[in-house]
Amino acid sequence: MEAVARRKAAAYVCRSCTRQFQRQLRRNYSNSAPRPDIYDVVCVGGGPAGLSLLTALRANPVTSHLRVALVEAQDLSKVKSWKLPPNKYSNRCSSLTPTSALFLDQIGAWEHLDQTRVQPYHEMQVWDGVTDARIEFDWAPGSAPVEGTTIAYMNENLNLTSGLLKRLEQLGGVSVFEGANVENITFGEEMEDLDLSQWPVVHISGGKQLTARLLVGADGANSPVRAFAGIDAKGWDYNRHGVVATLEMEGEGWGGEHTKIAYQRFLPTGPVAMLPMPGNVATLVWSTTPENASLLKSLSPKDFVAMVNAAFRLSTVDLAFMHTQGTDQDDEYSWRLQHTSFNPRAIPQTVVGVQEGTVASFPLKMRHADTYIGERVALVGDAAHTIHPLAGQGLNQGQGDVQSLVKTIEFAVTHGQDIGSIMSLESYVSERYTANHVLLGVVDKLHKLYSAGSGPLVPLRSLGLNAVNALGPLKSFFMKQAAGSGTKIF
Amino acid sequence: MLPSSPLRQLAPTMARRVRNPKTVARLASIPQYSAPVTTTSSPSATTQRWHSNHTSSPSGPSSSSSSSSSSSSVNPDEISHFNALAATWWDPHGSSRALHLMNPLRHDFIQNCRSSSPYSSFTVLTEDASDLLPPSSDAAHNTTHNTANVQKLRYLDIGCGGGIFAESAARLPTTSSVLAIDPSPGVLAIARSHAKKDPGLSPKLTYLSSTIESLPTLKPEAVTQKFDVVSCFEVIEHVDHPSLFLDHVAQFVKPGGWLVMSTIARTWTSWFTTNFMAEDVLGIVPKGTHDWHKYINEYELRGYFEETEEKRRFWGRPRAMGVVYVPGLGWKEVPGSEKVGNYFLGVQRLAGEDNA
Ligand SMILES: Cc1cc2nc3c(=O)[nH]c(=O)nc-3n(C[C@H](O)[C@H](O)[C@H](O)COP(=O)(O)OP(=O)(O)OC[C@H]3O[C@@H](n4cnc5c(N)ncnc54)[C@H](O)[C@@H]3O)c2cc1C
Repeated sequence: MEAVARRKAAAYVCRSCTRQFQRQLRRNYSNSAPRPDIYDVVCVGGGPAGLSLLTALRANPVTSHLRVALVEAQDLSKVKSWKLPPNKYSNRCSSLTPTSALFLDQIGAWEHLDQTRVQPYHEMQVWDGVTDARIEFDWAPGSAPVEGTTIAYMNENLNLTSGLLKRLEQLGGVSVFEGANVENITFGEEMEDLDLSQWPVVHISGGKQLTARLLVGADGANSPVRAFAGIDAKGWDYNRHGVVATLEMEGEGWGGEHTKIAYQRFLPTGPVAMLPMPGNVATLVWSTTPENASLLKSLSPKDFVAMVNAAFRLSTVDLAFMHTQGTDQDDEYSWRLQHTSFNPRAIPQTVVGVQEGTVASFPLKMRHADTYIGERVALVGDAAHTIHPLAGQGLNQGQGDVQSLVKTIEFAVTHGQDIGSIMSLESYVSERYTANHVLLGVVDKLHKLYSAGSGPLVPLRSLGLNAVNALGPLKSFFMKQAAGSGTKIF
Repeated sequence: MLPSSPLRQLAPTMARRVRNPKTVARLASIPQYSAPVTTTSSPSATTQRWHSNHTSSPSGPSSSSSSSSSSSSVNPDEISHFNALAATWWDPHGSSRALHLMNPLRHDFIQNCRSSSPYSSFTVLTEDASDLLPPSSDAAHNTTHNTANVQKLRYLDIGCGGGIFAESAARLPTTSSVLAIDPSPGVLAIARSHAKKDPGLSPKLTYLSSTIESLPTLKPEAVTQKFDVVSCFEVIEHVDHPSLFLDHVAQFVKPGGWLVMSTIARTWTSWFTTNFMAEDVLGIVPKGTHDWHKYINEYELRGYFEETEEKRRFWGRPRAMGVVYVPGLGWKEVPGSEKVGNYFLGVQRLAGEDNA
């Protein structure tokens, strides 16, 4: 609540100057103003969060009468018609929890995803690269949640956004402004019979202006909507990059086609994760220093593959050494592997290739907006919070936001509230803010705990993982959290 | 700060603090709410008493649109108090926050009332066909209604204040129109300027500065066409003659339609929470908002609708819902709490003739 008050104070300054400015404009051009084009919801950003929001609003009979618009900088027709050969996968994959999958199913989008490209996984192997303390996240008999043994679904982001766009096309009724950048956001005008001075007006490339009862910022980490609303996002950069790649494996995995396993090893530079995709494919998310990331991106496919195999097998000292070599990691790896003992069944199968053009990296950061709402503004997804990818929760948090915001809008509609007013948006923040904050904090602390190569934290954390592993009920609690099916603390 | 008044209140005569000398003559009306007297006061007698008061009033009936005249059921002190409140009416963190939070429950209660009866204002009377059409498709209007074939409701909101309920009723896709009246020009100005901020409202929402007594003169069609839902929320406790007021309200309710009210019981708990805690300690409502002596207990209000055979033919069985304000959580329905604090009371009009 304090955050809301603070934001209000901050926004007051901008709003009053904007208004003053508009009053001047009005004096000069009062007669030339065209009748405003008013929407109930203008959503900026057609990523996973924005598209789910619009789909959910259109699919819900209570909210389907709302006049809605989407503004997206990218060309969405390309996203919708996205298609890759069966053995090729995009490097941007996310794990969708059963909770997110259920929501996508409820809004009729899940069936529009290409199911042959969605891979459920059933076990998680997580271990500490320094101490080798290990936690095996497989379901103990009787502890699996009712919906099955699936922990989560690996899926390409494009398969999701493309599926959402197909569902949206089926539902119809959205004014889509694609390939359209938001150039400016101002406030509306006060006319004799209509006072829109507190209504956001979105100016998009090409000169079109959309007036919004509720402006939703689903516009990612650098949200222009958040900037317009004067909402601050606090956090820090991890000085880490996430290196992603699509990998070709020697086989379908130790559990075969029906028991797929996700792997994550905590290295002093950050966690490296390998997540199963259909067939012999896996996707890599390796958080590491910017220097290591640029080295990895510069390597030949053969050397890159060697580094990935090394990351799951060699000692952290050997691995650090291999990062100092400009090239020939493949030879180095073969030699060092002979001198390293490990249980091959406890780590991913060997990587045999990397799909061309899929090695890329993104800077990692932690950001949390001070609030998710303002007068006639709501933020969802990465616009509201950016999380370290180690828990694979970023996209799922956004789905949780969308579900909550749609519920809030539905309540407002059935009770005659103005869906843009702070009063009706309050329940959205109160439902989501703490939940997201706890998760951001836990993931942030995990990152920091496991980023230490030596020192007092190291024995402590091996105790941590071993202890968790030994305590069945606690482990099952963590797994249910990972699957989004447990008690809702996240 | 501790009142001498609640002690006085224990006396069965229900002495009331006289805020305006002109209201003295009308103090007699209150016993109609206490059970022992109900048998002696027939509805027609009540109406007569109201008329005699009305004509004997020094200023006479007001015909102007801002009729804050002392002839109405509304106390002038109350009006000036609400004028002073106007500025913060729509501030979500201001003095009316509790009312904003309560507003969704009002709709739930109306919904609950309407679905409790197999009859509705539509089964009893044929609706004016023009009301059933969707509102004009102004670009500003927020909906492309798919409810066109559903019969839409006409609302009359009495004592609308800044328009918290009136706006929300007008926004519902199931509403055809809302007429919202209030005698305080200050709050109506706030209501009008706030409604201007929402282009979806203007086709459906009309504000009128009027008391219920002057409404038939100002808008004769309000009596002939009547309303599916007549609401007076947090009003009765501010009215000098609750029973006369209700007699008057009856003529605006369509047969099959509902009169819904909310108010607060006159108990130690309500004094403590609304006068002492809310106004003095927490400051969540402005001081002087509540005159605890005017609070009406649920059995008294219920009694009005059940006191005579004639009334029982005219009105269905009252339905009540008690609500409690939980700081940090807002309003919650608490069964049984209608006896001690805030409550809703809804009653369906059964009779077709206007003469209860
Ligand atoms: C390396 C990496 C790995 C990740 N792994 C996982 C994972 O395993 N699991 C998981 O759940 N999440 C993961 N995430 C996070 C996940 O990708 C994001 O949380 C998710 O994409 C956020 O969705 P969004 O819709 O909120 O924002 P975005 O996907 O960022 O969408 C924002 C949209 O807004 C548009 N936009 C922005 N500005 C404008 C403008 N001015 N005008 C018009 N349009 C504009 C953009 O074009 C974009 O389409 C990962 C992230 C990274 C970087």
